Amino acid sequence: MPSRLRCAAPRGLSCAVNHARIPNRSAVLLLPSAPAAIAASRQYATAAAAVSKSSSFRLPDDYVPPTKPPTARPADTRKSQLLRTYTSLLRSTPLILIFQHNNLTAVEWAAVRRELRLALGSIASERTNSAEVASRAQLQVIRTRIFDVALKIVEFHDPSKVGPTTVSALTGEKVQVVYNHDLSKAAYKAVQAATKADEPLPESSAYAQISPLLVGPLAILTLPAVSPAHLAAALSILAPSPPAFPAPSKKKSPGYHDPIAQSGLQKLMLIGGRIEDKVFDLEGVKWVGGIEGGLDALRAQLVYMLQSAGLGLTTALEGASKSLWLTLESRRSVLEEEQNGGKEGEKKEESS
Amino acid sequence: MITRFITDVTTRFNPFSPRAKSARLFLTFLPPTARLSGMNITTQLLPRSSTEPSSLHIKFKDGKEMKLDCEAMGIKSIVEEVDRHSRLLQKEADLADG
Repeated sequence: MPSRLRCAAPRGLSCAVNHARIPNRSAVLLLPSAPAAIAASRQYATAAAAVSKSSSFRLPDDYVPPTKPPTARPADTRKSQLLRTYTSLLRSTPLILIFQHNNLTAVEWAAVRRELRLALGSIASERTNSAEVASRAQLQVIRTRIFDVALKIVEFHDPSKVGPTTVSALTGEKVQVVYNHDLSKAAYKAVQAATKADEPLPESSAYAQISPLLVGPLAILTLPAVSPAHLAAALSILAPSPPAFPAPSKKKSPGYHDPIAQSGLQKLMLIGGRIEDKVFDLEGVKWVGGIEGGLDALRAQLVYMLQSAGLGLTTALEGASKSLWLTLESRRSVLEEEQNGGKEGEKKEESS
Repeated sequence: MITRFITDVTTRFNPFSPRAKSARLFLTFLPPTARLSGMNITTQLLPRSSTEPSSLHIKFKDGKEMKLDCEAMGIKSIVEEVDRHSRLLQKEADLADG
């Protein structure tokens, strides 16, 4: 069928031309209605047939695809993605406990996680989000060095302080764009500037306090809220210390006393914690876990304290004016009495 | 590291001190079945403010005790020290087995 063959060629060519004009989805977004003003030096030939037609289309030299911002690290490697995961974890998680794990086997990890889940799930919930906290608590093994870098980025890189960069859009016009993501050069430079090898880190920074902990194989337990009840339950499983956080009894949770779980728990070592951007050691974590009634109780205590202090203050301030008023009032009554007494005396004298 | 001949490991360290690194890393060198095969491992964590030096105390099957100074030694030299004695015991054990 010759006619069909003849038709196929022009159709194919037009397809190729269209394709060359619009190389990908992101380009479509930036392309103006009239693509005549395209001028730059980079050139992509997508179809051999379309070269002559589309030679007018060139990407600007400093064009940055909107879905792929420039990064200081290769953006699509596992390490970079892990780093982004850790930074977002550090920014969003108020309570992180850091454990050292010494050669736990897979079955031991499974047993430890099972016991932890059971303990967290069995907390009697007077608050509504208790189950949610329990379900989102996670014990995960981390890559120590990447976690270290993530901590640095979270501490020293402030995305709001990064200035805009000028890049070209597809059309060649200059656009102001802010690249302040965690993999950006700005983040990299901020971290480099803060942690120079010859200068010691300031003692006040949380990273300086937590960095000695980040050695060897580590695991973290993340809780999505600072809930002392959940923390206490987790401590009683993972790092039991008899008076405050006793291990569960054999009758109550037989799985905990299973030899596999026990040997796993013996190899887990709680070395510290990061609670609301502050670094705590074992004692500090236990102190937080020992807060009765959680944050609400602490707030109630504070309110009560402030109220009683205010009450004392008002009575003290009132006291001076009150006593003044009392003395004046008594003086007035005395004077009145004297006046009345004098008048009565006079009246008596007159009458007599 | 040869851990067959170690019967007792006792460590004390403050995890917030950078010098505790070698003591902590030594614990990670012990195999997963160390406790099952009869090794006693005791770890004591010191509070954050403590300035006590980190210590590592090892006992071997033949009764030899080793007190290693974790402050000055890196993990490599600690492993070297421990292996030096373990190799002697290994040699003896191999000869005894025939």
